[in-house]
Amino acid sequence: MAKKFELNEIEVWDGNMAAAQALRQADVDIVAAYPITPSTPIVQNYSKFLADGYVDGEFIMVESEHSAMSGCVAASAAGVRAATATSSQGFALMVEVLYQASGMRLPIVLTVVNRALAAPLNVNGDHSDMYLGRDAGWINLCSYNPQEAYDLTLMAFRIGEDLRVRLPVMVHQDGFLCSHTAQNVRPLQDEEAREFVGEFKAVNSMLDVSDPVTHGVQTEEDWHFEHKARQHHDMMSSFDVIREVFGEFKERTGREYDLVYTYKMDDADVAIVALGTTVESARVAADQMREKGVKAGVVSFRVLRPFPFNEIVDALGDVKAIAAMDRSAPGGTFGMLFNELGAALMAKGKRPILLNYIYGLGGRDTTINMLREVYEQLNECAQAGEAKYPLQQFIGLRGPKLSFY
Amino acid sequence: MAKDMKHIDIEEIQKLGWDELIPGAALFSFREPVEDVVEVPMEERPYAPTNSHEWQVGDWRVEKPVYNRDLCIDCQFCWVFCPDMSILSRDKKMIGVIYEHCKGCGICVEVCPTNPKSLLMFPEHMDNDEALKRWPQKEEKKKD
Amino acid sequence: MVKKIKNLKEFSLSNDRFEGANLMCPGCSHNIIVREVLNATNDPVIVATATGCLEVCTAVYPKTSWDVSWIHIGFENAAVAAATVSAAYEVMKRKGKLPPATQKMVDEGREPKIVAFAGDGGTYDIGFQSLSGAFERGHNFMYVCLDNEVYANTGGQRSSSTPIGASTTTSPAGSVSYGEKMQKKSMVEIMADHGAPYVAQVSPSKWKDLVKKVQKGFEVYGPVYINAQSACTTEWKHAPEDTIEVSDLGVESCVWPLYEIINERDEHGIIYSTKLNITYRPKKKIPVEEYLAAQPRFRHLFKPENRHIIDLWQKAVDARWEYLQRREEAGV
Repeated sequence: MAKKFELNEIEVWDGNMAAAQALRQADVDIVAAYPITPSTPIVQNYSKFLADGYVDGEFIMVESEHSAMSGCVAASAAGVRAATATSSQGFALMVEVLYQASGMRLPIVLTVVNRALAAPLNVNGDHSDMYLGRDAGWINLCSYNPQEAYDLTLMAFRIGEDLRVRLPVMVHQDGFLCSHTAQNVRPLQDEEAREFVGEFKAVNSMLDVSDPVTHGVQTEEDWHFEHKARQHHDMMSSFDVIREVFGEFKERTGREYDLVYTYKMDDADVAIVALGTTVESARVAADQMREKGVKAGVVSFRVLRPFPFNEIVDALGDVKAIAAMDRSAPGGTFGMLFNELGAALMAKGKRPILLNYIYGLGGRDTTINMLREVYEQLNECAQAGEAKYPLQQFIGLRGPKLSFY
Repeated sequence: MAKDMKHIDIEEIQKLGWDELIPGAALFSFREPVEDVVEVPMEERPYAPTNSHEWQVGDWRVEKPVYNRDLCIDCQFCWVFCPDMSILSRDKKMIGVIYEHCKGCGICVEVCPTNPKSLLMFPEHMDNDEALKRWPQKEEKKKD
Repeated sequence: MVKKIKNLKEFSLSNDRFEGANLMCPGCSHNIIVREVLNATNDPVIVATATGCLEVCTAVYPKTSWDVSWIHIGFENAAVAAATVSAAYEVMKRKGKLPPATQKMVDEGREPKIVAFAGDGGTYDIGFQSLSGAFERGHNFMYVCLDNEVYANTGGQRSSSTPIGASTTTSPAGSVSYGEKMQKKSMVEIMADHGAPYVAQVSPSKWKDLVKKVQKGFEVYGPVYINAQSACTTEWKHAPEDTIEVSDLGVESCVWPLYEIINERDEHGIIYSTKLNITYRPKKKIPVEEYLAAQPRFRHLFKPENRHIIDLWQKAVDARWEYLQRREEAGV
């Protein structure tokens, strides 16, 4: 039996410690992991918990992220709780197995500390890895600070393991800005957290030798489509479970989560839609804009997959101009948020002005001033009733202005 | 709702729609738990409809091995080298060929040490009794 | 618990846990090896399989040919899959949370045996990293390489196990080429050098040798590597009924020597003894040429311009046989 970890009501944790503590409290049976900046401290912290007797499960320091995720898949199919952590290149190496995890319907939890993808090699934060894996069939939860990284990691187990869901779950946090930034975190005590997460419910466990099960079959054109349809259906139906788990967590902690995060959107004319720590910076910028009389608001995805189509459009209400802020190199098109928001708005008959800002790549600082400037541009468009700026702009970039359309 | 794939017949399985599938495409070997499978011979196992044992590949063959009990010494070479679990042996005795699973590779015939052989390949369409009538005589060993 | 198998008649009492009507080619060695491995024990077995012939032909939805729990994840990760299932088993055992039927087996001294099967592509090439990692970490499982010296499942491309002179679809023999240019990689020694407690090379045609080695492997704690010769009727291009004969030619010519390497460790985990034993010695070592002649993948070597490759083959096989004998004699 693992030792109880004495926790204060308020701990000062960075995002990595918050995620590591959540993994420890979830009583994970198998953590198979490989270190990579900036998520390395999750693995290190967990190792230290193990060394000090706070972990009852097995910790397997594998030789690559590919094996880390493969190990999680095998452990989960064996009927035990499995989790890991990664970033960037490691995430990219896992991608093949991410699809296998979701296709085999294994409720693995992956804490992703978001970081840029090479080349050029870069250890700092952006959302390239998140974007790379967003369609891998995993539920994607997004945090903006260490408290949320902790809360969502605990909730990820409940959501993914629910018998109505049985899908793997990623919890994203920004590299360095969240992962290495110490803040106040109010943790649950070990027994509370354990009670909330609950016992792992094995489904079709390989370890039951009296009831052999075959995992990871071959299907071709006669079966593959139906299985992928079932998987998509179950992902789309997971909203109810996500809401239930968010609700129960609020009852326990008072901390409220919803599919979509909004800040001062009730009367907003202009809105920034962003992910990660930028949400918190945008809140400050919105407040400053409101002092100047601009009705600014912030919207973000708490749940990126499944895509909260109705909720995101409702959250944006009748806002006149929107900045879709993508922190990932768009690779020859608009950013993901622009494309997905644009489609959702259009499908719901809304025609606000929608601008795409590419920002913060490879950890480039995104200041309050830059976000205020985005709001200024939106405000100008809102007042003019038309796009007064190019549809896609790179901001915070040296050299001549880069924009398209 | 996922259908209980252990307990419906294979025709029904073949027609399942996406909403009736078991998440993750898991397949089961048996209809009910088997405590100690090595103690249960195949004829007594509660195979699930999704176990390939319930299917057949006999139509792959153009020639079939025919077994001649009169010549067999029960050495079990055919049993151990059969790639398709198609030699039925019980209590150390060779009983016959499981034609549903035999692909007609001919290994059993090749490894058979008796003279003449106790297993020989015959055309698929030939009746086994007819094949037994046509069994060759003992071959004289060729001198070097 | 070691199963008593004195002779073939006794072995034939085994009830197979691998099922017929799978989709493997007629005459495939893979199946024979899988049967011999699974039937070597009466303990429960759990299997992980790499992408490859065995995987695509035994779990084609909605059919499984396995009467044991089985998992396939990908091409390159059978080792970590088996290793982690083994770790999961150990965690649950320690926590007292094994399924009741499994716990009952364990109480009877019949612990599940975790076995990975992979082809040479999944072992020598793409799966090598995962294999090496799992062996270094010392997980308790057996890894069986079904070595048919080619990517058979995808249509016969060369792997790093393909021997020199073989014509494959990516090293075809042609007017200016004798086929594969590289010598086969020495996987058995590589795995033994990981410090694995037991490593062996086997052929399905020598069933008793194979079963004995698998049983030895099941008795030690730690990662065990078994390199199994798997004559491939499709890619070696011999007739399906000749599978056992071709395998035997490999063994009798010493192209495929049967041996084992045992690393013994003290209580601190330090290896104090490494021993190589040759487990089968042909009465009369037949010329390599006979082995090559039995397989049309080498047919072009018999043209005058390629004969030197046959000579090279014989030299390499002789040198290797000599090396194994010297190691055995020296007790290292």
